Amino acid sequence: MTNVEKLKQLVIDVFLLDDNEFSLEMMRDDIETWDSLGIVSMAVGIQEVFGYHFTPEEAVAIRGVQDIIKVLEAKGISFDE
Amino acid sequence: MQIIYEREIKNNIKKLDDLWNNDSTFIFLPDHSGINNKWLKKSIEKIPNKYCKDHFALLTSGSTGQPKIVIGNKERSEKLAFLLHEVQFSDPVKATILALPLSYCYAFVNQWLWARVHERSLMFTEGLKYPDRLKEVLLNADNAMLCLIGAQVPLMERYYSNNDFPGVIRVHFAGGKFPQRQIEIVEKIFPNAKIFNNYGCAEAMPRLTLRKLEESDDFSNIGKPLPGIEMKTGSKGEILFRSPFRAIGFIDKEGSRFLSDDEWIPSGDFGEEVSDGYWKLKGRSNEVFKRYGEKISLPQLLDTVNKQWNGQAVFYNVKDKNGEDAHVLVLSPQPAKEDIRRLLQMFRKKHTRPHWPLRIEGVSQMPLLSNGKIDNLKIKLITDKIIFWEQIG
Repeated sequence: MTNVEKLKQLVIDVFLLDDNEFSLEMMRDDIETWDSLGIVSMAVGIQEVFGYHFTPEEAVAIRGVQDIIKVLEAKGISFDE
Repeated sequence: MQIIYEREIKNNIKKLDDLWNNDSTFIFLPDHSGINNKWLKKSIEKIPNKYCKDHFALLTSGSTGQPKIVIGNKERSEKLAFLLHEVQFSDPVKATILALPLSYCYAFVNQWLWARVHERSLMFTEGLKYPDRLKEVLLNADNAMLCLIGAQVPLMERYYSNNDFPGVIRVHFAGGKFPQRQIEIVEKIFPNAKIFNNYGCAEAMPRLTLRKLEESDDFSNIGKPLPGIEMKTGSKGEILFRSPFRAIGFIDKEGSRFLSDDEWIPSGDFGEEVSDGYWKLKGRSNEVFKRYGEKISLPQLLDTVNKQWNGQAVFYNVKDKNGEDAHVLVLSPQPAKEDIRRLLQMFRKKHTRPHWPLRIEGVSQMPLLSNGKIDNLKIKLITDKIIFWEQIG
């Protein structure tokens, strides 16, 4: 499974999305379930899947899937397919 | 004080009549109650002398599975049996078919005692344990009354969907959620029956309200209080009642408690009067709790689940990693991946995150109490449950 696929599955699981709802351009405002508890849940999921622990500032600053990718890429996790 | 078990009266119902006729108080227990004799003996010692005559006691386990001995007064219960006859329009009923354990307060008063005071027949069956035998009795029924709990409907559908039993003219539900969503099945199997939703609790011995099916299409509508019964909502939203038919007192692991006439007694559920004297249930006390500041109502969530899931479903309470009250959903039979997907979508659409279950588990068969209700204590302890979905975090 590629990192993009792992991230897709995580976002789907955390926010209870249908497969076809996911896109890499998805923004927080697009998903009603991306709420305060969802942010915490996402951060825990990122740690479980990618082994990186978001700082509180990073977690709060995330506005969309691309922001997650940027933070993780900055830590050396590649999303190039 | 005499202790009598169900197995002792199965072939000799007269034994129960003799005990009722006798002045002495007796305790009527299910065959497999799970209580130990030491606890029972200690409980009996706690019954004051003044209640050792003209009373009777039953064991209730309720939805928590914790044993509780409830003491009733024979005269009060006979009065309730007469009242039930009137409000349930039971005059045309010639016989009542037993499909629940007789030591269950609902069957004891609504069937055995009713049949006794109105000189009707009581037809013993072992319920859905032997569906073929019950079927024979139902096929031969003549103007009969049947008392059921909602959890029996899926089993009845499984066994009797190709049958109908026109000889059953009254079907009563009590002891749990009214099967509003499956009512078409009930109407198909019992085409000539008037159907009632009965609400009460063991402390009420057991009846508080009654609703005819056609009076509402909302499963949580429990109807109006019976004549003579007062109900109100307490400060926490709990249902409180006063009833001339109520139990005298009860004994549980906390000790014994005897009730006074002016006392408002909790039924164990949340609810409120909605309109025209009708009451609506909002869940059991342990089924409504706060999670991350939001009020979680498990019956409401179960309603969401039942819209997508045709099998059995139940929640049990747990603590999450943060020590917050949370809930786990258990489904039976084992769900398919697509069932889980649909359920999760439904949760997402209808409820915010604190309402979502911590996990969704599946079991091939729900553990049941002797009264046919799902055993909420055992369900937690089943070890071969399959986890189909789990919240991250």
